[in-house]
Amino acid sequence: MKSKTKLQSGVIKKILSRLKRYWFLIALSLLFAVGSVLLSLYIPIRVGNAIDVIADCFNLKISVDLGINGKILPILIEIGIVAIIIGILQWIMNSINNKITYNVTRDIRNDAFSKLESLPLKYIDSHPYGEMVSRIITDVDQFTDGLLMGFTQLFTGIVTIIATFVFMIYLNWVITIVVVVLTPLSLFIAAFISKNTFKLFKKQSQKRGKETGIIDECIGNLKVVKAFNHEDEFYDEFEKADKELEKASTKAIFFSSLVNPTTRFVNALIYAGVALVGALISMNLLLPGLSMVFTVGMLSTFLSYANQFAKPFNEISGVVTELQNALACAGRVFELMEEESEMPDKSDAISLKNVTGNVTLDNVEFSYSEDKELIKDLSLDVKAGMRVAIVGPTGCGKTTLINLLMRFYDVNDGSILVDSHDIRDITRHSLREGYGMVLQETWLQNGTVKDNIKMGKPDASDEEVISASKACHAHSFIKRLPLGYDTVISDENCSLSQGQRQLLCIARIMLALPPMLILDEATSSIDTRTEIKIQNAFATLMQGRTSFIVAHRLSTIKEADIILVMNKGKIIEMGNHNELLNKNGFYKRLYESQFDFTDKETTED
Amino acid sequence: MFKLLRFMRGFRKECILSPLFKMLEAVFELLIPLVVANIINEAIPKGNTRNLAFSCGIMALLGVVGLTCTLFAQYFAAKASVGFTSKVKRSLFKHVTSLSYTELDELGTSTLITRMTSDANQVQTGVNLTLRLFMRSPVIVFGAMIMAFFIDLKAGLVFVGAILILSLIVFGIMCLTIPLYKNVQGRLDSVLDSTRENLTGARVIRAFGLEEKENIKYRKKTEALNKAQRVVGRISAIMNPATYAIVNIAISILVYVGAIQFNVEGLSAGEVVALYNYMSQILIELIKLANLIITMTKAIACGNRIQAVFEVSPSQKTITQEPIKTDNLIEFKNVYLRYKGSPEYSLEDISFSVKKGETIGIIGSTGSGKSSLINLIGRFYDCERGQVLYDGLDVRAYDPIILRDKIGYVPQKAVLFKGSLRQNLLWGDENASDDDLIKAIEVSQAKDILDSKPEGLDFVIEQGGKNLSGGQRQRFTIARALVGKPEVLVLDDSSSALDYLTDSSLRKALRELDYKPTVFIVSQRTASIQHADKIIVLDDGLIVGIGTHNELLDSCTVYSEIYSSQFSTNEKGGNN
Repeated sequence: MKSKTKLQSGVIKKILSRLKRYWFLIALSLLFAVGSVLLSLYIPIRVGNAIDVIADCFNLKISVDLGINGKILPILIEIGIVAIIIGILQWIMNSINNKITYNVTRDIRNDAFSKLESLPLKYIDSHPYGEMVSRIITDVDQFTDGLLMGFTQLFTGIVTIIATFVFMIYLNWVITIVVVVLTPLSLFIAAFISKNTFKLFKKQSQKRGKETGIIDECIGNLKVVKAFNHEDEFYDEFEKADKELEKASTKAIFFSSLVNPTTRFVNALIYAGVALVGALISMNLLLPGLSMVFTVGMLSTFLSYANQFAKPFNEISGVVTELQNALACAGRVFELMEEESEMPDKSDAISLKNVTGNVTLDNVEFSYSEDKELIKDLSLDVKAGMRVAIVGPTGCGKTTLINLLMRFYDVNDGSILVDSHDIRDITRHSLREGYGMVLQETWLQNGTVKDNIKMGKPDASDEEVISASKACHAHSFIKRLPLGYDTVISDENCSLSQGQRQLLCIARIMLALPPMLILDEATSSIDTRTEIKIQNAFATLMQGRTSFIVAHRLSTIKEADIILVMNKGKIIEMGNHNELLNKNGFYKRLYESQFDFTDKETTED
Repeated sequence: MFKLLRFMRGFRKECILSPLFKMLEAVFELLIPLVVANIINEAIPKGNTRNLAFSCGIMALLGVVGLTCTLFAQYFAAKASVGFTSKVKRSLFKHVTSLSYTELDELGTSTLITRMTSDANQVQTGVNLTLRLFMRSPVIVFGAMIMAFFIDLKAGLVFVGAILILSLIVFGIMCLTIPLYKNVQGRLDSVLDSTRENLTGARVIRAFGLEEKENIKYRKKTEALNKAQRVVGRISAIMNPATYAIVNIAISILVYVGAIQFNVEGLSAGEVVALYNYMSQILIELIKLANLIITMTKAIACGNRIQAVFEVSPSQKTITQEPIKTDNLIEFKNVYLRYKGSPEYSLEDISFSVKKGETIGIIGSTGSGKSSLINLIGRFYDCERGQVLYDGLDVRAYDPIILRDKIGYVPQKAVLFKGSLRQNLLWGDENASDDDLIKAIEVSQAKDILDSKPEGLDFVIEQGGKNLSGGQRQRFTIARALVGKPEVLVLDDSSSALDYLTDSSLRKALRELDYKPTVFIVSQRTASIQHADKIIVLDDGLIVGIGTHNELLDSCTVYSEIYSSQFSTNEKGGNN
C-alpha cells in the first residue's frame, strides 16, 4: 500500500513536469473558474433581491416601479449582464482546458511513439502489440480526459463548496447549519453506492471478458468450428457465460443508476428543511431573540444554494475514482515511456560506407533468456561475396542469427565484425543500410504500392521502381491492381495474397541493391514455379554480395558456399553441400527426407 | 435498429413500467415549487405554522415517493436493457454460427466480433438510458412550461421562448459537432493504425533506417488529430455557457414579467419564486436530454449494424434427391465455383471421381484453387454449376452436420481452442476413449510432444494455442481430425509447418490406418503427394492433369515444372 502511494506520487511528479509547459494556461483556467463560480453564486442573491422588491410592494400594497429608475429593472439588467460575462468566462475556460488536454495528449503520444522507435526489439518481441497500442491510444486518452477534466471539476467543486458556504453564512447562519448538517448524508449515500458499484462493475467486466473470449475464439475460427459441427457446443458455453454476465450487468447497472435518484432525494430533504427553517425564521418563531431578518427573496436564494451545495460533493466522489483511474493509465503510459531504449550508438561510432561485405563472427554467444542457452562459441568467417545458407528444422534458431547480424539483438559475448569493424562501433543506421532483408513474415506499410517498394530508396524514379518489380516478376500483378503502382495497400487490410506480398518485399530489395543480403524464407509463400523465376533474379543479385539465406527448401541452398545446419539452437554441422552429404549426418537425413524415396517406400508396403 | 425491438418482447411490462415510474417521479418533482409558493404566500404572511408543517411534510413525502418510484424505474430499466441485449446477443450468436463460409467471407470475422461485443454494449447503454430519461426529461421540460402557464399566461410565454432558443442552441450545436466528431474519430483511427503498423513492422522499419521519417509522419498525424479535436472542442464548448447565460437572462425577464403581472393581475411573490424554480429545473434537464440524444444516435447506429448482420441469411438451401448407385465415394461433375463478388471463376469445369480408400493428391501454385476444391467436399461453399456427389448423393441433399461428420478436416491454419488437449481432441468424436486419442496422436507424429508434457492429455492449451509452436499445433489438429475415424480425411496444406522428415513419417502412418480413410492431401510439395493413387494438378482454377506421379511427369508440363523446381533435374535419378 505504501509502495503504491509512492508509485502514485512518482507518477504525479511526472505529470506535473509534463504540465509545466502549460502553467500559464492552467493558471488562467483556474482564475476563470474562480471568477465564474463566484459570479454564478452572486446571481441567486440578486434574483432574491428582485423578488424581495415585489414582496415588499406586496406588503406595502403598492405597485412595483417598473422603470429604469425603479428598484427592480437595474437589478435584472445586472443579472443579464453578469450571466453573459459568466458565459464568456466559462467558454474561454472550456477552450483553454480543451487546448491543454489535446496538446498534452499529442505531446505524450509523440514521445511514446519516438520511444517505440527506439525500444529494443527484445521488448517489442516479448510484449503483445495490442497492449502497447492500447497504452498509447486508450490509456493516453483516459489519462488526459480523466486528469484534466477531473482536476477542473475537483477545483471548481471545492471553490463552489467554499464560496457557497461563505455566501450562506453571510445570508443566514442558522439555515446554513441545516444545509451543512444534511449534506453529508447525500455524500455518505453516494459513497456507499459507488463503493458497491465499483465491486459490481469489476465483476461485470470480468464476466464480460470471459464472454468476449468465447466470442473471439468461436467466431474468429468459425470455419474450423463449422467443419467439426461444434456450433452447438460453443453456443451452450456462450449462453452460460452470457447468463452470468446478464446477472452481473443487471446488478451493476441498477446499483450505479441509484446515485442520481438518491442524491435528488437528499436534496429534496434539504430543500424541505431550508423551507421549514427559513419560514420559521421569517415568521419570527425560531430564535426570536436574535431578531434575524429573513425575506422571501433570501429564502429563494437559499433554496437555489441548497441545490448547488450538494452537487459538487457528489461530483467529487466520482472525480476521485476518475482521478485514480487516470493515474493508473498515466502509470501504464509512463512505464512504457521509461523502458530502456536501445543502447545509443557510440558517440564515435563510424558510419559504414562502401561496404565490401566481409562478415566475421568471433566466438559469439547469445541466448534470449539466461536459463536457456542458445548460441555458443560460434565462429565464422564470411568473405565478401560468399553465400551462407542456414538450414534446420522449424524453431531451431535460424532467425536468431539474423537478429544478431542486423543488430536487432546484441550478442552476450564475443563479437560480430563487418569489414573488420565491430558492429557495436558502427552506427545502427549504416549497418542496417548495408543489408537488404526479406523476411518470411511480410510487412507492408499503409500507402501506395510504389511507396512500399521505394522504402529502401525513397528517391528512386518510377522507371527504377518498375524495372525492380519486373526483375522479381511482381510487375504483372501490380499492373492488374485497380490503380497499378498507385494502389493503396496496408498491412492488415489488403487483398494481396501472401505470395504477392512477398514479391513486393523482394522488389524493395531489388530496388535498393544493398551490398549484403539477408533472405529469411524469402520465397516461402511463393509457388515453386514463380520461385524458380525469381531465383534467377536472386542469383544475379547475389553475385558479389555477401548473402545469408534461411530456407526450408534444400534445393535453393545447395549452391551456398557454407551451409550452417542448426538444430535446437545450436550449429551442429557446417560445410558445403557435398561435404555435408559425405558426413552422413543430420544434413543428409534432412536432405533425404525431402526426396522421400519412392523405391524404398513401395518395397516396404 | 427498430427491427431489433422484436427482442423486447417479454420485457413489455418493464418497458412500460420503467418510463411510467420515471414520469411519476418527474410529476412529483414538478409539484415542489407549488408547495414552496404556498409556504411563501400562505404560511409565512399568516404565521400559519400548521400549514408550514404540512407543506414541509408534503415536500419530504414527495421526495420519498419520488425515490421509491425511481428505484422501481431504474430496476425495470436495468432488467429490460440487459435482458434485451442478452436476447439479441444469443440470437445473433446462433445466427452467425448458422451462416455459411460465403457469408462469413463477406462479413469478415472481426466485424462480427465487434457487432457481438462493443456494438451490443452500446445498444444496451442506449436502451437503458432511453428507458430512464426519455420520459423524464421531456416531462420536466414541458411540465415546467405547462405549470408556468397555469401560474401565469405571460410568464408561460417566456418559458416557450426560452425553451425554443435553448433547444435551437443545444440541438444546433449537436448537429454541427456530430460530423466533426466523426472526423476526429477518423483521425484517431489513423494514429492508431500508425502505432500498430510501427510495432508489427519494427524490423523492416529499422532495417531500412526509417525511424526518423516515421516519427515525422506520426507527428503530422497527431497534429492533424489535435487540430480536429480543437475545432470541435471550440464549438461544443459553447453549449454549456450559452445555455447558462440564456437561462439566467430568461430568469431576469421572467422576474420582470412577474413584476408587471403583480401590478396588473396581483401575481404573488411566492408564484414568482415558483416560476424561477421551474426555469432552473429546465436547464439541467435540457442538457441531460442532449446527452441522451447523442447516446441514442450512437446506439441506433450500433443497432443498425447488428440488424444488418441479422439480415444476412444463410445462402445454402437443402435439396432433395434420390441417391444414385455408384461405387465412387466422391464425384465432381463439371463443377464451377465463383466466390461472391468475384468476377472470375475460382474453379472451372472440375470433374473427377474418387473411390473409397484412395489417396488423392492435389497440387498447384498459390491461388490455383486447391483449397476451394476441397472446401466443396464438405459443402462449405456451394458450386455455381455442376454437382458434387458424396456416396451417390448430391452434397446439397445432406444435412450438413451429417455430411461434415464423415469428414476429418485439417485446416491450413492450425487452430486449437482454449481448454485441455483432451477437450480439443474430443472435437473429432466426443465418445472417444483416451486410448483412441493417444492412437490418433501417435499417427499424427505428436507422441513426443505429448510425452514432453507432464500433464499428458490434461495439458491446458491457451487461447489460440499460444503455448504451442506452429508445428506442434499442426500435428494436434491432424490428431483431432483422426479421432473421429473419418471416412474422408482432408489435409489442406497441413504439413507446411512440418519438416520433411516428420511429414514423410506422417504419411506413412496414415497409410497404415486400419479403417482406411479416403485421404485428400493438398500440398505445394511434390514430395508430399507423389505416392498418391491419383494426383490432381490445378492451374488457375482448371484441372490440367490427373494421374499418378509417373504419368503426370510424362504428360503434364505444369506438374513436371513444379517437380523440377523442387528437385533440380540432375538430382532426379540420384536417389542413391
